[in-house]
Amino acid sequence: MQSNWLVEIMKRAQSGPFIKEKDFELKLIKRIKELVKEYDIKYDANDLVPADDDMADRVYQAGLQLFVEFGAYCQSTERQILFTHDEVVDIVAQAPSEVILGMGKDAVVMRHRGVEDPVRPIVHSGPTGLPASEEFHPQILLSYAQEPLVDCLGAGSVATYMGEGIIPGTPLELLGARRDASVAREAVRMAGRPGMHINDVAVPLTCSGKMAAFDPDAGLRSCDGILVSQMVELKTDYDQLSRVAHLYNVGGITVDLMTPLIGGLGGRAEGTAVVSVADHLLGVVLYDADYHMFSLTHLTYVNNTDPLGIWIQAMVGQALSRNTPIILLNDIYVVSGAGTKELLYECAAGAVVGTVCGFNMQGAGTTGGFNRDHFSGLETRFIAEVSRASLSLTRQEASKLIPKIMKFYEDTLSEPNRGRPFNEVYDVDTVQPTAEWLDMYYSVKEDMSKLGLKFEYAPRPKA
Amino acid sequence: MSVPESVHQRLTEAFIEGDVEVAEAITTEALEAGVDPLGIINEVMVPALTEVGNRFQTGEYFLPELMMAGEAAEKASKLLEDAIVASGQASEPLGTVVVGTVEGDVHDIGKNIVVTMLRAHGFNVVDLGRRVAPSAFTDAAKENNADIIGMSSLMTTTRPAIQNTVNLFEELGIRESYQLIAGGGSVTGDWATEIGIGYSEDAAGAVELCKQLMDAPSN
Repeated sequence: MQSNWLVEIMKRAQSGPFIKEKDFELKLIKRIKELVKEYDIKYDANDLVPADDDMADRVYQAGLQLFVEFGAYCQSTERQILFTHDEVVDIVAQAPSEVILGMGKDAVVMRHRGVEDPVRPIVHSGPTGLPASEEFHPQILLSYAQEPLVDCLGAGSVATYMGEGIIPGTPLELLGARRDASVAREAVRMAGRPGMHINDVAVPLTCSGKMAAFDPDAGLRSCDGILVSQMVELKTDYDQLSRVAHLYNVGGITVDLMTPLIGGLGGRAEGTAVVSVADHLLGVVLYDADYHMFSLTHLTYVNNTDPLGIWIQAMVGQALSRNTPIILLNDIYVVSGAGTKELLYECAAGAVVGTVCGFNMQGAGTTGGFNRDHFSGLETRFIAEVSRASLSLTRQEASKLIPKIMKFYEDTLSEPNRGRPFNEVYDVDTVQPTAEWLDMYYSVKEDMSKLGLKFEYAPRPKA
Repeated sequence: MSVPESVHQRLTEAFIEGDVEVAEAITTEALEAGVDPLGIINEVMVPALTEVGNRFQTGEYFLPELMMAGEAAEKASKLLEDAIVASGQASEPLGTVVVGTVEGDVHDIGKNIVVTMLRAHGFNVVDLGRRVAPSAFTDAAKENNADIIGMSSLMTTTRPAIQNTVNLFEELGIRESYQLIAGGGSVTGDWATEIGIGYSEDAAGAVELCKQLMDAPSN
């Protein structure tokens, strides 16, 4: 990216077309609907992982056209930041296709993945976007970092500092951000992986809070990252752009976070896929992101493991994988919580579709983010195992397999089993899963084996 | 003049389909033909938007359909209000609700859905937008003679701002003058009960809650 690009973006943020946010949204809704029709994009509930290259390319072209027409809406100035078609195409072509995350022997290379790519995804973990308690946060992070198949850690979000609620933009946010970064740093050290990439400290909602997480000794380093967020859909503001500037200053990893809503401004599956592609392009052009965290969630259930969510992930992954060099990360969001089989089945569905359709892995966003501490490292181990077992699958095979996995949990989407908190599914002293939680793990793994997944690791240890 | 069947049917369809231009055109045509504007509101607009809300709640409709129906209703309402004023009639809203996403929180999709649904059900809604400071809530409550104050928070770190807002209402001695309610991803029924305010977990529930609060005896 040219060195004066942020200067140019600031100029456009101040001089682009003025439009009220509501009018921007109404125009966006109408245009997405037109583009879905124009590009003949069709959801098929009987084929959730379509092996349709042409439709994938049409989804990309529709998303590209949408982004060129709408650009990014800057909430700070109520103006559109617009780019020409040629600018977007040029910048996307130059985007990074691989990035080194972490340092020393714990560093990993996260790459652009192709459709049905045999290269294993990098696995990100941690309670990103999920509320954690001060009491169990250190053990929870260790439970992820110690998993051998996990490559990266997210520090998650603790809503209090020494028992006091953290208010954004206050001293407590800065103290909380530094504390959470230190807890993550200590977790990777205790796991014997001090150079593991930490992808974000989620508690701060402001740029100053994110900046406070950086500390080469006890916090984030330049080999770590922070999330630069988009507001749904195609929106940014000066606080987010300031994070990009900070990451330039310290040489940190820029993680583009988008949270498109299934049933949101994009509407149904087809429109949500189109706007999701446009969101990724915003992350490339506006944020100069190193990789892109696709945190798709259903407007009502806050998950992406329903049929619409699976199809959108399949199409967005293929569209971007086939038409850009960028590095995709699929954030698996589920309605179930730790200590339930449903959580593992949901994770399996997300891992299969993501692996086959060009994503790296992130997970799991349990309980739709509603329940504090209802998550653990074990489900990320499962994501990693299922992902590796899915590397040989074709899209056609994945499309047949996923409905079979969904049978295990589809009836619980509207009335989810939220499970139990970390301290009830792990021994908090040894930071090991309880026998009951492990038993569920192996039981679900056996179910997946029966459905045809071939795991690299032994199913259940013999007694 | 009550609403003729042909107007009733076409206008209902326009609202349900979220067709802004058609809804405006039929409303104009009906008013020119002497149809009672209050009849259009009560017999056509409110039932049609209630149906849209129901379809949204059951997952048949998504946000675009809800927003377009809301836009069609807003445009038609302007025409109807002008006609009501011109005729000397009075149109009483169900109540006035001041709504905002609390200080520090930029997530407003859920709040926007609630605003659309409340308006569709006949409430006068004062939407304060995102990142609303406690004093902006108290000022708006007084300036608009509000009945209900609705606060939204998605993030766990912005939930304390709801408590801070409630505290300011109490400190100013106006807590008992308004019904306070909250919703959003970080809010639970237990927590709302703990701090003494109303709660709804979704937009349809928020409408029902506001209706109940308007029916309930004042504090």
